[in-house]
Amino acid sequence: MKKARVVLVVLVALMLMMTTVLAGCSSSKKTEDTSTETSGEVVWWGWTPGSPTNEKYIAEFNKQYPNIKVTWKQTSIDDYDAAIKPALANGQGVDAFEVSAGSGNGGVRVFGGQAIDLTDAVKKALGDDYKNKLNASSITTMTVDGKLKGLGVGTVYSGNLWINQDLFDKYNVKVPTNYEEWKTACKTFKEHGIDGFVQGAGQGAFNMDTFHAIADNVSPGTFTKATRGEVKWTDESIVKALELWKGLFDDGIMQKGALGLQQYPDANNLFMSQKAAMVMMGSWYTSNTLPDTMKAAIESASSSEKPFTLIPINFPDIAGTGKTGSMFGDLDYSTAVSATSKNIKAATTFAVWLGTSQSGQQIIADSLNVVPSLKSATPNWDSVKLVNPEKQNDAVKKYLENAMSSVDNARFAGINADMNQAMMDVLAGVAGGTITPKDGAAKLATTQADSK
Amino acid sequence: MKKKNITLKATKINGLPWILPAFIFVVGIIYYSIFYTFNLSTLDWNGLDPVQTRVGMSNFTKALSDWVFWKAIRNTIVFFIITFVIQNFLGFILAAILHTKVKLATVHKCLIFIPTILAPATMAPVFRLLFSPQGMLQDIFDTLHLGITVDWLSKPNSALFILMIVAVWEFTGMSFILYYAAMSQIDKEMLEASRLDGAGNFRTLWNMVLPNCKGTTVSLAMLGIIGALKTFDIPYLITTGGPNHATEFLGTYIYRQGIRQSHLGYAAAISVMLLVLAISGAILINKMNKGDEK
Repeated sequence: MKKARVVLVVLVALMLMMTTVLAGCSSSKKTEDTSTETSGEVVWWGWTPGSPTNEKYIAEFNKQYPNIKVTWKQTSIDDYDAAIKPALANGQGVDAFEVSAGSGNGGVRVFGGQAIDLTDAVKKALGDDYKNKLNASSITTMTVDGKLKGLGVGTVYSGNLWINQDLFDKYNVKVPTNYEEWKTACKTFKEHGIDGFVQGAGQGAFNMDTFHAIADNVSPGTFTKATRGEVKWTDESIVKALELWKGLFDDGIMQKGALGLQQYPDANNLFMSQKAAMVMMGSWYTSNTLPDTMKAAIESASSSEKPFTLIPINFPDIAGTGKTGSMFGDLDYSTAVSATSKNIKAATTFAVWLGTSQSGQQIIADSLNVVPSLKSATPNWDSVKLVNPEKQNDAVKKYLENAMSSVDNARFAGINADMNQAMMDVLAGVAGGTITPKDGAAKLATTQADSK
Repeated sequence: MKKKNITLKATKINGLPWILPAFIFVVGIIYYSIFYTFNLSTLDWNGLDPVQTRVGMSNFTKALSDWVFWKAIRNTIVFFIITFVIQNFLGFILAAILHTKVKLATVHKCLIFIPTILAPATMAPVFRLLFSPQGMLQDIFDTLHLGITVDWLSKPNSALFILMIVAVWEFTGMSFILYYAAMSQIDKEMLEASRLDGAGNFRTLWNMVLPNCKGTTVSLAMLGIIGALKTFDIPYLITTGGPNHATEFLGTYIYRQGIRQSHLGYAAAISVMLLVLAISGAILINKMNKGDEK
């Protein structure tokens, strides 16, 4: 018995020692920067745009900085926060990482605390008047407590649809400009065995885009004002927008089972494999007008279809107000440099090159994935070859010009994590009929009032 | 005799020193994690910010008034009851069948067990497509002109049911293997005696085999409760807890709060409550079992 007691005491003591050792194991040690401004190894984490585009950026970077080895580490958009949080907390394996505006996915408000201030690096690259050379949102949305925590790579805009023009031509369907035309188009495509419009409504962020587009169609700018608290969420235009959102499901525009699908990969794959004629994606989808990118996307959808004519169109005037063409956007992603990286100088060189240099921003512009942050960088249309230049060039140019001219209409930057979740819940609830549009609007108002 | 006892005692090996390092390491990490999580549950913290605000027990009181938390509890209870009954019924019957003379018995055993070892990450996209209007099941229904639309994952009432189908498909193999092993331990003479007394197949199964597999059933119940409480992969990968939290479980809600919404303290509070529920469930099953034995 005495022996058993001794063993028990020893065990408890050893366990306490183990917990103390574990508690003492922290990453608070200062890491030494072993890189230089022209040499080092950088691990770059992010969720967009994805291979092969990121590798093209790295190859272009290496033309100027051959001794900085950059490795792209990709996660899906949904898994990014879960993957990078422990990596940043651990202080190892992350040198440069993507952040976005606000506190949503990869939000700079959450992750900015782990990043260095890049103000001096930008001033060195662009001069003291750097703010005049970059898009305003790439500075303002990335500044946290007066420090520039990320360098914007480019802005994405949403608010439009993308259509497969070849399918419209094949089945002689009119491109929809209003609610009735949209219903008719979906019905016609369904008769031919394909979905007219496809959305992964199980993935809430894209529902928010659709809802924002509807709200802007009902009353331009009200959505953005509501996010700022300048207009109540219970405003009748918001309730109307929710009613119209529900109508998309009731009237057969949203495909059956939309709430059970994810936008990526399900809806995207259906559209890319030409099983659907319309999808709501933003300006990041423009890169799919390039043959290589589209081929890769079609292959990822396990399809053997050939590249098709992808065209952007305005969101149909479903509210009947005549107010269409509204676009809203945020910095799609920015590059931050981890404060605990062992390659801070090399990672800073990469972040500055990608976000502010003419060569870096030019390849961003030519990839058509985002609208570059550097004002002087625009797509070189002479060298950019689309799948069907005759039908696509003018439409895509006009689309990007319209997007860039949108003012003061943020996509997610004004929405915190709690509002983000509440909006996704309300939209899913209204679509599924478990909550009325009026009650949904009230819930948004309550959440905004309660959240920080 | 005394000499023999001394010899026997001398040859007894004391196992404690052998397991001690692993025991300390495993238990140490577990206890450290529990205490650390409890500490986190008293904070308002996003997991990265250098500033942590101490909020006491308010995360726990918040959970008790959170409809999503109670939805997750309800889903867990429903999930456990239905999957436990169906899985174990199927596992028991399959084990009984395979104890008879069945051709290619080994092949059947493998086929039944394979779903248990498949990674959920590989199964989830398959089931998501299978149960979508663009999937194979819809194609079959359309070919047979049944007029059924397979949009069950998009409806709050049916989405949970679909997840239960997936769980039953995945874990029946586990029940089967355990029942099969338990049935192998039953004394064959006892079964022969029941046959001689005129008992048919059903009577033998119900009155002889099932009582002798009670230990297995109790173990499966305990594993089932804990499994239901920590269910994450199937709902997260197939429905991400939707539509509108219809398939939310404690595991997915902890993930949503801790990672997606950066409310790490609140997520930790729910984790602590999950631990308490798991321990309570295990104790309850154990007490019920001991009560039966008396």
